[in-house]
Amino acid sequence: MESFHSRQSSKVTAGILAVFWVVVLYLVLNVTRIDPDQQMAQKIFYYHVPSAWVAGLGYLVVMFAGVLYLIMKDEKWDHLGLAAAELGTLFCALVLITGPIWAKPIWGAPWSWEPRLTTVLIMFLIYIGYFMVRNFGDEGERTRRISAVLGIAAFLNVPIIYVSVKFWAADAQLHPQPAMSQQSPDVFWTFMLSLLVFTLLFVHLLRFRVHILKLRSKVLGMRYDV
Amino acid sequence: MLAVLVRKDLLIEFRSREILISMITFGAAITLLYAFSFRPSPESMQTFAPGLMWMVFLFVSVLALHRSHSLEKEFDAFSMILSAPVERSVLFISKYLSGFIFLVVAQMVLLPLFFLFLQLPLPANLAQMVAVFLLVDLGISAAGSLLSGIVMRVRVNEMLLPLMLFPMVTPLLISAVKSTASIMDNQPFNQWKLWFQLIVSFVIVFSLIGYLVYDYVSEE
Repeated sequence: MESFHSRQSSKVTAGILAVFWVVVLYLVLNVTRIDPDQQMAQKIFYYHVPSAWVAGLGYLVVMFAGVLYLIMKDEKWDHLGLAAAELGTLFCALVLITGPIWAKPIWGAPWSWEPRLTTVLIMFLIYIGYFMVRNFGDEGERTRRISAVLGIAAFLNVPIIYVSVKFWAADAQLHPQPAMSQQSPDVFWTFMLSLLVFTLLFVHLLRFRVHILKLRSKVLGMRYDV
Repeated sequence: MLAVLVRKDLLIEFRSREILISMITFGAAITLLYAFSFRPSPESMQTFAPGLMWMVFLFVSVLALHRSHSLEKEFDAFSMILSAPVERSVLFISKYLSGFIFLVVAQMVLLPLFFLFLQLPLPANLAQMVAVFLLVDLGISAAGSLLSGIVMRVRVNEMLLPLMLFPMVTPLLISAVKSTASIMDNQPFNQWKLWFQLIVSFVIVFSLIGYLVYDYVSEE
C-alpha cells in the first residue's frame, strides 16, 4: 500500500491547506477590521467558530458511520467513525480552549455556563467515555458494534442537551449571535475562507486517520493469521 | 416472555437482596454526609435539596444498572438467555423495567429519609412529585440499561458505566432538579412545563434507541 503522503490527492490537499492557512492568518491579522468593542480579542472568532463547526461535523459523521456500520458490518465504516470521533473531540478541545481565551477579556471570566459552550463540554465528556470503551474493549467486532451504538446515542442526545442547558442557565445567554449576512465583506469572506480551510483540514486529517486505521487493522489481521 | 424475564430479575434480587440493600445503604450514607457537610438550615436546604436529592438517586441508580448486566455474566447466563427464543428488544425492556422497579423501591425508602434528615417540608402537590419521579426513573433506567449493556463486556465496566451515564443524562438531571424545585416551591405546572416536556422527550428518545439497537448491543 502506498504511503498516504505520497498520494497525488494528499499532496494537493496538503499544499492548498498550507497556502490558505497562511492566507487566512494574514487576512485575520491585517485585513479584517478591528472590532470597536472587542478589539483584537474578536479575531479568535475566525478560529473558534470553524472549530465548533468541524467538531459538530465530526460527530455527525460518527453517527452516520455508526448507522452504516450496523447495517453493512463493513469495517471501513468503523474506521471512518473512529477517525471522525477523534477529530470531533480534538476540535471540541479547541473550542473549549479558544472560548475561554476570548471570554476572559470580554466577559471578565474565562468560563460561563453558556448553552453552546456547555453543550460542547458535555459532548467532550461523552466522547471521552466513547474512547475509553474503545480502549478497554477488545479488538473484535463487538467493540466496533457498541461504539457505533454509542456514537448514534450521543448525537441524538445533542438537541436535548442543548435545550436543557439553554433554559437551565437562561441568565448566561451572553454568547454573541452575529448574523453573518450583516457583516462587512472583509469579515464575511475571511470567515467563509476560514470555515472552508477548517473543513478541508478536517477532510484531510480524516482521510489520513482512516488510512492509518486501515493499515493497523491489516497488520493486526496478519498477526492473527500467523 | 417479558413478564418471565422481569420476574427472573426480581426473583434473583428477592433471594439475594444484594442490589436493593446496597442501593439503600449507599443512598442513606450519602444523605447523612450531605446533612453533616451542609449543616442544614431549613432555608438554604430548600434551595439545594432538589439537586442533592437527584444526585443521590443518580449515584444509587448506577449500582442497580451495573448489576443488571454484570449479574448475567456469572455462569455465562447471558449466552443462555440469548439462545432462548426471545427477541433482544424484549430483553432490553425487561432490563429497563427491572432497573426502574429497583430504583422506585430504593426511592421509596430513601426519599422519606432524605426529607427527615434534611428537615424539609413535604411538598403540597404529591401527585405531581410522584409523576415526575416515575418519569425521571424511567429515563435513568432507559439510558442506564442501554449503557450497561454496552459496557458489559468491556474491561473495567464498573468504572465506565458512571463515566458514560453521567454526561449522557445531564439534560434529564437538569430537568428533574428544575421540576422538583418548582413542585417544592408550589409553582403552577405551566411554569415548569418545559422541564416536564424535556423529561418526556428524554424518556422517549432513549427508550426508542434502546429498543431499536439492543439487538446489536447484546449480540455475542
